Amino acid sequence: MKLLVFLLFAFFSGVSFSAGEYKCGSIECYEFSPDTKDKESLQRGLSAYMNYCYGCHSLKYSRYKRVAEDLSIPIDIYEQNLIFDDSKIGDLMHISLQESKAIELLGAKPPDLTLEARLRSPEWVYTYLDTFYEDSSRPYGVNNKVYVNVSMPHVLEDIESELSEEEYDRYIADITNFLTYVSDPSAETRKQLGIYVILFLLIFTAFAYLVYREFKKDLK
Amino acid sequence: MTTDTRTKRFLSWIDFRFPLTEVFERHLSKYPAPTNLNIWYLFGFLLIVVLAMQIVTGLWLMMNYTNSAEEAFSSVEYIMRDVEYGWLIRYMHAAGASAFFALIYLHMFRGMMYGSYQKPRELIWLGGWFTYLILMAEGFTGYVLPWGQMSFWAAQVIISLFSSIPVVGEDLATWIRGDYLVSGITLSRLFAFHVVLLPILLIAIVFFHILALHEIGSNNPDGIDVKKHLDEDGVPLDTKPFFPYDISHDIFALGVFLIIFCSVVFFFPTGGGYIIEYVNYEPANPLSTPAHIVPSWYYTPFYAMLRAVDFPLFGLTAKFLGFATMMAAVAIFAVLPWLDRSPVKSIKYKGILSKTFLGIFVLSFFALCYLGMVPPTETKTLLSKIFTLGYFSYFLLMPIYTRIEKCKPVPERVAEA
Repeated sequence: MKLLVFLLFAFFSGVSFSAGEYKCGSIECYEFSPDTKDKESLQRGLSAYMNYCYGCHSLKYSRYKRVAEDLSIPIDIYEQNLIFDDSKIGDLMHISLQESKAIELLGAKPPDLTLEARLRSPEWVYTYLDTFYEDSSRPYGVNNKVYVNVSMPHVLEDIESELSEEEYDRYIADITNFLTYVSDPSAETRKQLGIYVILFLLIFTAFAYLVYREFKKDLK
Repeated sequence: MTTDTRTKRFLSWIDFRFPLTEVFERHLSKYPAPTNLNIWYLFGFLLIVVLAMQIVTGLWLMMNYTNSAEEAFSSVEYIMRDVEYGWLIRYMHAAGASAFFALIYLHMFRGMMYGSYQKPRELIWLGGWFTYLILMAEGFTGYVLPWGQMSFWAAQVIISLFSSIPVVGEDLATWIRGDYLVSGITLSRLFAFHVVLLPILLIAIVFFHILALHEIGSNNPDGIDVKKHLDEDGVPLDTKPFFPYDISHDIFALGVFLIIFCSVVFFFPTGGGYIIEYVNYEPANPLSTPAHIVPSWYYTPFYAMLRAVDFPLFGLTAKFLGFATMMAAVAIFAVLPWLDRSPVKSIKYKGILSKTFLGIFVLSFFALCYLGMVPPTETKTLLSKIFTLGYFSYFLLMPIYTRIEKCKPVPERVAEA
């Protein structure tokens, strides 16, 4: 019995092991736990993303409408303020920057970021946004501790210099929360539904146990 | 005419033309199950449930999945985002694959512990072994379909193993891929295998497995032959009918299983990267190789063996020998019934040698499972070699240790055990 519980637990538990290297490039990841329930933070994150990231980084697996609904933004307000081209509200969030143009400007194609927070982890995204530093050897004069020799310029440079350290941390936390949300938009629904499912199963299993116990009596 | 007699008349109409009542009673309601079955006897039932779940969720996934290199990745995200409850269906299917393997390993271990493969159950065991083979192929082909980075590179690594076979290897690998490297052609043929060929084989073999089991009857933790003592109707005394006695604890077990399973699906759907690898959230890119290519956890014991054999021998390459070792590790289960020379079935009555070697096997399996997941180092490769030997020693030395050890006498009846 103990062995069984151990086996099931071992197979299903998400115990991760360290591969002996940093998860955030040249440094340890900063501590960060994403909050995808905080709608205001998600809205601020979306707004920052659309203004500073979306020029180059599409969210091509996500739709405007889904984001508007999940973040409780009225459709008309969303259409007026957060769609920059002639896209319809039901469209996927593609960008107009052409690949050839991007490579000419930056030397690499900026990746789509819909799944970035799942691919790399929210901690990675947060730490990445927080660790740009001056490096005159790089084309844009900046380098990054997480993504060493990244082609991306420090697009939040002005924001970082305007805000206090605390405010900037919140700013990038908002963006990270948003990217965490958009990487798995059903997460909150899933967890809510999960509670009901587990409650049902507990009741079901309790009754199933009583039936089992009743029949077991016959055998003695 | 009352409803009761009407039902009876309808049933007898059917029974005259098709043995409905007989089949139902023989395989379900009156199937005699030994009275001393324990928790290890639940996994067969749970495997059937998981098989049914995989078929249903797979069917619904297929309705929205596109099997082309250009569209596969985005169609999976379409399922996750735009299809009603698509995320639930996909998470169930992905976690279902892991559950399938966890359960089949437990089910196989039960057979090994209680000698359920021994005469006269060799064909039941072979059917089960074949199910496991098909399941491995299902797992692999299914894993490729989301067409993420790990899908692509796992396919690349696994299929390239065939190219290590002397003389015909390269041509064989090209034939399997349908191309000189893994491409959209490979994806669509693996899709066809995953949704048509392999499920049909799987269902057919499971059917065979159950039919063979019901012919001979279930073994039990004591390995007592219950058929030696029958009541006046010819039913073994130490058994109870499946309905309601077995179905009631199977359903209770199903509840417990579903609580665990749904906790994973709803709260840890990626299983910390063991059910859905994070690297697979990047679309397949033939030009960029991921830092670590790791197979799913259920293949890692065999992957560790592949890496453990790192030396050429008799003019054969290390890669081929590793591949052959891996294949042999899976194939050797098939001859288990003929390796065991013990007069008793259950580990309870076998001697200290059998217990020790089974322990070595379990330890080796878990150790290899871990070693296959982590990047290799010199020490870890050495450990992999040792545990590979441990794994095979259980099988290859079995004809010797089961013959020389002293066994305890098996009781005649369950009550005496």
